[in-house]
Amino acid sequence: MIRAHRRLAAAVVLCVGTAIVLTGCSGGGSNAGGGKTLVVDNSFDLKTSDPARAFELTGSIVDHALYETALTFKGGDVTKPVPGIMSYKESSDDKTLTLTMNGKHYFSNGDPVTVDDVVFSLKRVQGIAGNPSFLLDGVTVTKKDDKTIVLTSASANPALPSILPNPSLGIVDAKALKKHGGSTTKSDSAESYLNKTSLGSGPYMLQSYNVNTKVVFAPNPHYAGPKPAYGKVVLENVAGPTQKINVQAGSSQVALDLNADQVKGLSGGKTRVIKGASPYLIYLWFNQDAAYSGGVTDKPDFLTAIRRGIDYSKILSLAGEGATQPGGLVPSQFLGSIKADATDSHDTAAAKAALARSGYAGQTVTFSYPNDITVDGIQMETFAQALQAQWKAIGINVSLSPSPIATFLDAYRGGKLQSGIMYWGPDYPDPSDYLVFNPGEDLGLRAGWKAGADPTVTAAEHKAAAALGDDRAGAYADWQRAQNASGPFVPLVQPGQYVVTSSNITSLQLNPVWTVDLAAIK
Amino acid sequence: MTSLPSSSDVELAATGTSRAGRRRHPLLRYVGIRLGISVLLLIGVTIVTFVLSNLVPADPVQAALGERAAGDPKIVAAFRAQQGLDKPVVVQYFIYLAHLLQGNLGTSTQTHNPVARDLAVAFPATAELALFVLVFSIVIGLGLGLIAALRHNRLSDQVIRVFSLVGISIPTFWLALAFFYLFFYVLGWAPGTGRLDPATTPPPTVTGMYTVDALLAGQWDTFADALAHLVLPGAVLTLYTVGLLIRFSRSGVLDVLSQDYVKAARAKGLPARAVVFRYILRGALLPILTIVGLAFGSLLSGTVLTEQVFGWGGLGQYAYKSATTLDLPAVMGVGVVVGIVYIAINFAIDVVYGFIDPRVRVQ
Repeated sequence: MIRAHRRLAAAVVLCVGTAIVLTGCSGGGSNAGGGKTLVVDNSFDLKTSDPARAFELTGSIVDHALYETALTFKGGDVTKPVPGIMSYKESSDDKTLTLTMNGKHYFSNGDPVTVDDVVFSLKRVQGIAGNPSFLLDGVTVTKKDDKTIVLTSASANPALPSILPNPSLGIVDAKALKKHGGSTTKSDSAESYLNKTSLGSGPYMLQSYNVNTKVVFAPNPHYAGPKPAYGKVVLENVAGPTQKINVQAGSSQVALDLNADQVKGLSGGKTRVIKGASPYLIYLWFNQDAAYSGGVTDKPDFLTAIRRGIDYSKILSLAGEGATQPGGLVPSQFLGSIKADATDSHDTAAAKAALARSGYAGQTVTFSYPNDITVDGIQMETFAQALQAQWKAIGINVSLSPSPIATFLDAYRGGKLQSGIMYWGPDYPDPSDYLVFNPGEDLGLRAGWKAGADPTVTAAEHKAAAALGDDRAGAYADWQRAQNASGPFVPLVQPGQYVVTSSNITSLQLNPVWTVDLAAIK
Repeated sequence: MTSLPSSSDVELAATGTSRAGRRRHPLLRYVGIRLGISVLLLIGVTIVTFVLSNLVPADPVQAALGERAAGDPKIVAAFRAQQGLDKPVVVQYFIYLAHLLQGNLGTSTQTHNPVARDLAVAFPATAELALFVLVFSIVIGLGLGLIAALRHNRLSDQVIRVFSLVGISIPTFWLALAFFYLFFYVLGWAPGTGRLDPATTPPPTVTGMYTVDALLAGQWDTFADALAHLVLPGAVLTLYTVGLLIRFSRSGVLDVLSQDYVKAARAKGLPARAVVFRYILRGALLPILTIVGLAFGSLLSGTVLTEQVFGWGGLGQYAYKSATTLDLPAVMGVGVVVGIVYIAINFAIDVVYGFIDPRVRVQ
């Protein structure tokens, strides 16, 4: 019997030993960072690499590497579009945008980029009814000659040059794509092909694509711009905590999804931290529809009490280093943004006085938020709990109502929630993207704010939308002040954004449209 | 797991007369019945997954479309039509069933791929990890459970029981992070996340399991790389599964040890090895087999958190992403695959029961 035991024990030891030896043989992690391979860690929200369908953060990173756009932005500056495949000229009334070919550009198969490719690509975005189709709503795309196209809008569209650099408007090889089901109508069936083979003129081309695990890029040998520093780029789907360990260990060179707490202590040594302002705006809303307001949240004085009852210094400390208090709905890096002023400061006496004027009688206000997502690494629940305590201090009873984003969205977009906290990411870097917060517009309706509900805000909206040139910044600032005075939205916080790189990365710039330009990492 | 006894079967089994030639063998009949039940169960799985998926109080259209697109009635209508969501639920089920019979599980709203294609990538990744874990778990768990039972209440038994308790008690998510930090970051013994190093190109797909495919392609470096990547997530899952198997095999063996036939074998002076392997282990095999089957099913169904930490890209990660984004075709696809896995494993265990224990098939 003892011999049998020994044999069994030996077998067990052998198994464990084999495992240890195997692990040891792997030799201390990958050396992928060596040579010319760049590994970038990202928590994927990827759905597709087809530019006309992609509208997610990861999709933008991927498509910006694969496809050039008619216009682009230089580095992280999104205040002024610069020529990409084409240069541009706006008409004085901002209804017509003329695009002219800007030098020679080539697709990865060697074919030159033509005006026909640009026209096809833009019309395809419009025609296939995908997530980014709205970018060119009301825009007519016309080929003028072999070097020029004209984009015409029914009304002034000063944002159009800032929209065109969006990676969703990447230029594809029309001739090649048509052979694989590409079309400018809903019958387009080229997506699966584009998820295997990129047809762009960007610095990289697709080497392999797995929507759940990783995307691998190889250089486009015909790219017209400067040759990228890395011969191979791997964009990996990695969870936040693991990203930190990976970049510290040198297994990856860039970690894109770490929050303020996670980047503490990572500056210096083997890693460095790049900080910037996040393009996201975290805001509160309070329903103005009598059917959902409970007779409380639609009272102007109640909204004043809510605003003055918020202790922004504590909110910012929860959001972490780099977070700022926004003055209005437009984030700080965009034209027309404003700084927070005294009317947004914490004042419990003013809050209590406003609450008394509102006729609030202690009703419980339901405060909803999605509890399974983070914005720049911050959970909505963190803010919700802090706000509940702060409002309790001025006498407002708040009941928190968390739910998964999938179920939250249905009620939120239907305008059925009394109040809550949510975020907005820019579709394009122009203040006109934030006009959806107006009465009768998409986000306004989610707060039960119907068309005509606030003539002052609507007048400011119309003035901002019609403003041209240098007048735009001032008009959008006025519109935001009008929103702050009587609107149901409270801009709460603009988080900080952090990217951690290994110390051998000398150049990386954040951009609010495509997050990071893989080809510009050196 | 067992069917009601048939009087004719009992009679046939008891007499072994020539009538057996005209009737199916008891084991074949037993297998046939289990197979029939499995098919019915599978149909039930499709109904349950479909109904539960459609009972979720949320609109998949809202989850799939972006902020702007969700506000455009034309885009919403096009999406509903494309996904078949504009039809009555009953019609949707029969369309789903008809497609399912053709191997079409629909198109994922998140990956925009056919669900069957997504599963064909995710399932082998999980299966490779599960098989790796199972082999080690059976050897270690069964061995330690046997030692613990044979050395009942001695020091080695106590140590093994504590080890088992630790394995079961530690949350795998925490253990995964701890192992990753220790063995990858601090000690540098293990490779990073994923199934291969970023610079390594996957072998040509045959089975979807990188170790097997690398061997088939004769790519030894890729095989070593894939095997090394298996070790850390494998060790995390093995620790839990081993803990489970130790407990069940120990208690199973303890039950058998007190049986008369074991005492008789020992009294006859049979060698210890023969007593352990021919009498004790065989007698204790049925409950152990049950727990091995359940553990394997659980591993094959996806180990969400471990896959998440190690960026494994298997069924667990796919299921998690599908559920949180309300990707109904993918959720139903995962449900069907998991159902098939459990049904197949139960079927296999039932059949093995029949081989191991003649009483089962006679019943």
